[in-house]
Amino acid sequence: MKRGRLIVVLAAVLLGLVVLLFLPGGEREEFPVAEEFELHPLVEIPKIGPVDLSITKAVVYLWLTTAVIVVVALVIARSLKPRPGRFQQAVEGLYELARSGIVGSVMKSGADTWFPYIGAVFFFVLVSNLMGLLPLPLGEHYQFAYYTATANLNVTLTLALFTFGITHYAGIRANGAKYFANWAPPSAPPVLKQVIWGIHAVSEIFRLISLSVRLFANMLAGHAILGVFFAMVLIFQSYLAAVVLQGGSVLIYLFEIFVAVIQAFIFAILSAVYIGGAIDQEH
Amino acid sequence: MDAEAGKLLGAGLAMGLGAIGPGVGLGILIGKALEAIARQPEVSGDVRTNMFIGIGVTEAVALYAFVVALILVFVA
Repeated sequence: MKRGRLIVVLAAVLLGLVVLLFLPGGEREEFPVAEEFELHPLVEIPKIGPVDLSITKAVVYLWLTTAVIVVVALVIARSLKPRPGRFQQAVEGLYELARSGIVGSVMKSGADTWFPYIGAVFFFVLVSNLMGLLPLPLGEHYQFAYYTATANLNVTLTLALFTFGITHYAGIRANGAKYFANWAPPSAPPVLKQVIWGIHAVSEIFRLISLSVRLFANMLAGHAILGVFFAMVLIFQSYLAAVVLQGGSVLIYLFEIFVAVIQAFIFAILSAVYIGGAIDQEH
Repeated sequence: MDAEAGKLLGAGLAMGLGAIGPGVGLGILIGKALEAIARQPEVSGDVRTNMFIGIGVTEAVALYAFVVALILVFVA
């Protein structure tokens, strides 16, 4: 009985796919993926010197991210209960992940001092990445467009610069003038010591680049792949391809949710590793 | 071969070849981490944290290739 029904369903699906295969496709229409990532000013503000403060979709996404975090934090803080509901439990779980999973597990000292920064970065990147999976009517002609603020190198480089600055500030605060001398092991022979110091200095710059480019490229690549799936529907001109590719894009979308969380986690944990490494220098 | 074709070919090659190393590296990294967790499940939290740090550092290499490909297609 059950098996018979399954066969009927499978046959119907197959028949549907065959019918779709022979249906003619629609009119050709372009979907240029790269243009989705161009920023057009929604509200134009005249330039002040070289500084362009026009409001683009990236700015709106950043505002929305901040608003979501502030509203959730305020609502949770006002209504803390000793027996948490589902919502409070979820937020508490994320807080716990940031507090003990990220900061507690990689920073030896200074965890309490720098948790506010790392926690804030974690939640900001997390909410920003997840917001990017919501299409909002922010396209050039106010059509729905998908975009992430973190798929913009300016945003991620700013975040990485904060980590960069705080790393060295925390290092100098904890170790004083010895912070820079400690970049090379004090026991190394003279010439080798300078070479090691130089390599370390270069690696500090590359940390800044890799931290920003990792987040930027991950979010950009995820959104570009989704865009390519949509564009392929138009290239193949067939309903069968449309059904298959839309199914595929749902899977990619689910994977993107995973990537959004993982990337926020990695950004925060690497920030914690860098700051912790600057405080507890190896001697 | 005109310049445009060269750019596109270079971008494809950069991304494809650039993904080989990190792919192998991630496989080794996650495999070893799982091995460690299987041997000593009680340290799985620490191993997982360090695994994610390693994943972040390793996959950055592939993303450099991605950025190079983007630059070749859209900027160069």
